[in-house]
Amino acid sequence: MPEIVIQEISKTLGGLLTLGEINMKAADSAFVGILGPSGCGKSTLFNIISGLMRPDSGHVFIDKQDVTGRTGRVSYMRQKDLLLPSLNILENASIPLILKGHPKKKAHAEAEKHLSQFGLEGFQRYYPSQLSGGMRQRAAMLRTYLFSSDILLLDEPFASLDAITKRKMQTWLIGVFNQIRPTVMFITHDVDEALYLCDKVYVLSECPTVVKMEIKVPFSRPQHGRTITDPGYSKMRDTIMEALEL
Amino acid sequence: MKKLKNTVNIVIPLAFVTLLLTGWEVMVRCKSVPEWILPGPVRIARTFADNAPVIAKHSQSTLLECLAGFGIAIVFSFVIAFLMDEIELIKRALYPLIVASQTVPIVSVAPLFIIWFGYGLMPKIIVVVLVCFFPIAISLMGGLAAVDREYLELFRSMKASRLDIFRMVKLPLAMPSFFSGLRISAAYSVMGAVIGEWLGAKQGLGLYMTLSQRSFQVDRVFAAILAVTALSAALFVLVVLAERLVIPWNRLKQDR
Repeated sequence: MPEIVIQEISKTLGGLLTLGEINMKAADSAFVGILGPSGCGKSTLFNIISGLMRPDSGHVFIDKQDVTGRTGRVSYMRQKDLLLPSLNILENASIPLILKGHPKKKAHAEAEKHLSQFGLEGFQRYYPSQLSGGMRQRAAMLRTYLFSSDILLLDEPFASLDAITKRKMQTWLIGVFNQIRPTVMFITHDVDEALYLCDKVYVLSECPTVVKMEIKVPFSRPQHGRTITDPGYSKMRDTIMEALEL
Repeated sequence: MKKLKNTVNIVIPLAFVTLLLTGWEVMVRCKSVPEWILPGPVRIARTFADNAPVIAKHSQSTLLECLAGFGIAIVFSFVIAFLMDEIELIKRALYPLIVASQTVPIVSVAPLFIIWFGYGLMPKIIVVVLVCFFPIAISLMGGLAAVDREYLELFRSMKASRLDIFRMVKLPLAMPSFFSGLRISAAYSVMGAVIGEWLGAKQGLGLYMTLSQRSFQVDRVFAAILAVTALSAALFVLVVLAERLVIPWNRLKQDR
């Protein structure tokens, strides 16, 4: 699985310095969290990694290849599911394959293989409006996965879900991650979510955004999905809270 | 429970209409209003039945004008909306013109079409196109412009071409808005054709209406109005059915 290196990225948007000299690294099969206040340019960062936006300076390397400002290597998943209401779940998930030029039948067959892994078995003919928020997010994640199966960029994917569904989805995501071992970058503004899911967390500041802190999380991903009981947890949580000035 | 609600939804307006018609009939009879001023519903129904073949013949030309004009307006709207959505320059050039064109009263320009194109179908079709084009084009453009920017970014990040984005994302997402414009103009189209026929025609409900009106056969005018209403309603229903066929997924939301 690939390694993502973000090197001295800076970006000014509308006259406002949004990102100032960001350095990050997501190792092979790492689950990296990006934690920061709302509106601090986290999404801008993903726009740059996915190539939608060109940084003013700096580079993005995926597996040592410079992909700065080039789309097509990775896509990303957002808070909104952005499924097309006109297509059913299977058709929605197959979109990246069809855009890559696969014939429809083959694309559908390929997407169908992954349905059970993403908890969508039996729902392939349903339309997005017929499904719950959690299921829609899973379908959106399957679509992201089918575009680039080795890297998942997730931008607050569970932020619009209720607390119970959110926790279920987190546990489910850990399960999927353990099976396919992609390199994950996960944006969130929820400290507990970051500590629960990630191996490493970058804490970002407010505008202009810089990396305030880089923390290795030693107790990540408990299989059972319960509260982390490690005594170091609350201390680490406090350190992050302090960095966020909460 | 749902069934009961549906029945109520049908029964109440139906009962109300019956009440109105009965009131009308009673008033006309009690006050003995002369027929050339206001005939009662019963009289109108009889005239309609007696003249059914003639009305049907006139309706045919009106319907033909409507469908032709409606179809041309739809094709035009798609072409214009596509160009305006894709090319900013065209949008800037055309948008004010399209809106301004709506301020010109149709009745005042329709006689010109008769001077230019004669008494055949052509001038009426042009009027219908003019009447229908605006609501369809505006709703389609509105739908295209309202597509969430994040959809576009997502598809661009997946390396979709502009045409792919238009075809896969913008067009389907704009369809509900397009159809609401289509429903409005379906009802307008018959009006456009009738106005065109008023000013001069060889056949059509508008002509039948003016002829009847000039000879004070008010019952026939009402019969023609009935036919016009029926045509409008039929076109409206046609559009609703087409909507269900083309975007069946749009109704799912209401079911939940």
